[in-house]
Amino acid sequence: MNPERNLVTASGLTKRYGDLVAVAGISFDIREGECFGFLGPNGAGKTTTVRMIHCVSPVTSGTLTVGGLPSGIGNRALKKMTGVIPQEINLDNDLTVHENLVIFARFFDIGRREAKARIGELLRFVELEAKAGSKISELSTGMKRRLLIARALINRPRLIVADEPTTGLDPQARHLIWQRLRQLKAQGATLILTTQYMEEAQQLCDRIVVMYQGRILKEGSPATLVEELIGREVVEVRVPPEDDARILAHLTDFPCTHERVGDTLYFYCRDGHGLMRKLLELDLPNTLNRPATLEDVFLKLTGRSLHE
Amino acid sequence: MNLSYRISYVFLRNLYSYKRFIVPTFLVSLIEPLFYLITFGVGMGAYMGAFGGKPYLHFLVPGVLVTAVMMSSSFECLYGTYIKIVHEKVYDSLIATPVSADEAVAGDIAWGSFRGLISSTLMMTVALAMGVAPASPLRLAVLLVFMVFIGVLFGALAMIVTSVAPSFDFFSYYTELVITPMLFFSGVFFPLDNFPGWMKTLAEFLPLTHAVRISRAVFTGEPAAGTGWGLAGLAVLAAVVFTVSIRMMRKRLIK
Repeated sequence: MNPERNLVTASGLTKRYGDLVAVAGISFDIREGECFGFLGPNGAGKTTTVRMIHCVSPVTSGTLTVGGLPSGIGNRALKKMTGVIPQEINLDNDLTVHENLVIFARFFDIGRREAKARIGELLRFVELEAKAGSKISELSTGMKRRLLIARALINRPRLIVADEPTTGLDPQARHLIWQRLRQLKAQGATLILTTQYMEEAQQLCDRIVVMYQGRILKEGSPATLVEELIGREVVEVRVPPEDDARILAHLTDFPCTHERVGDTLYFYCRDGHGLMRKLLELDLPNTLNRPATLEDVFLKLTGRSLHE
Repeated sequence: MNLSYRISYVFLRNLYSYKRFIVPTFLVSLIEPLFYLITFGVGMGAYMGAFGGKPYLHFLVPGVLVTAVMMSSSFECLYGTYIKIVHEKVYDSLIATPVSADEAVAGDIAWGSFRGLISSTLMMTVALAMGVAPASPLRLAVLLVFMVFIGVLFGALAMIVTSVAPSFDFFSYYTELVITPMLFFSGVFFPLDNFPGWMKTLAEFLPLTHAVRISRAVFTGEPAAGTGWGLAGLAVLAAVVFTVSIRMMRKRLIK
């Protein structure tokens, strides 16, 4: 495996549904063996983009290649090397846990004996051996999501597409899934992740793009993006807007940027301690100093209003 | 069209799912023929005397066999498929695998036809128990093959309706305005001879009319006029409907 090689290449990738432009001519490369994240609010075009990558949605215009092959609905070779962990839990409710995997193995032309071995292995991997005979309705959401992962791995995929894989999970289940995804990456798989959870992107992704209204706003590693767009630290001051002028006047010489959102005044800077010392001189009631996160990047890029 | 042996995988998936419903569906499939054969065949037949020298049941059974196939495969490809697309999302996970959307649809039509075959086989069993049998075992075999074909025809026809259905309620248009009228205008329960000319002409345009006529000719061994052309017509219709159903479902499934 060559880390310099691109597994997925998109150029001017566009998807239109009638008049609606879901993806507006984006370009990106995903390297073999990395974890690449698509971040963005609802409706940003993340899912549409990954659906084009794993060949279930036709490309309107632009080019998209996976492993050197053009992505397309009829491209069975690409579907064979891809594992999809969907956003929506679409397990087969008429079948048991074990049968779900048996049938999926058939879809991928995997022989019976080979399927049996892989299913045993995968059920262990996602810690569902005890549930092999259970109906899907008897599983918790966390178990269902783990089964989706096992199902996506039945064909030993080179490329794994995980579309918001931890939505609706408790912290334990979420961490278990993160561990498994990291393990898969360590084994050499290329991982494509879409998520709205910034912590998830920070935990898993080598590189991310932030999408908004069908476009890519920024690209880079989570750490660089934070550093570049926010700085190292954030100081939140919860004061009424009338106080802004007084506080800002006090900080004129201090190297930082600020933003007023609702009831809070945000400062982005490198020297959080220095800023806190300056603010202490004003004796403000609610001040909080914390490291900058991807969430700050996300909110700065995509705005703070609701996306509905 | 993107079709391959993978159709059998979709069929297999349905078979796995069916395992849990075998007993209830067998019961339903048995009750339906008993209902037809006893009410119409025995009850009404008592007043109808002989049809071409034989009891009414012999007239009724070949028609009802085809009807059972039409009903089962239609319902499977209307409600069964709709649930798999909209509620269970089975199609979503299927088309992300090397199985194509075309194969998924063809697999469901094949499954609808199989369900039709089960219904007609059960009905045939009841008929045999009542002493109504095809003219020869070979004719029985031919009849079953014909039922598979009729199942594909009506399954694909239903699939076209499913491809544009916004909700379950939509299916009542099809069942009430197409399926049910066809049941009464296709010579299933009585010969069409006494219909006025225009109605007879109309009946010739209904696929069920031809299916019933062919089924009856095979069953009784008495050749009837127009079965050759009828079969050719049905074959052409089935090919067209099958192709259109796959194209239209592709539109629904691939976005």
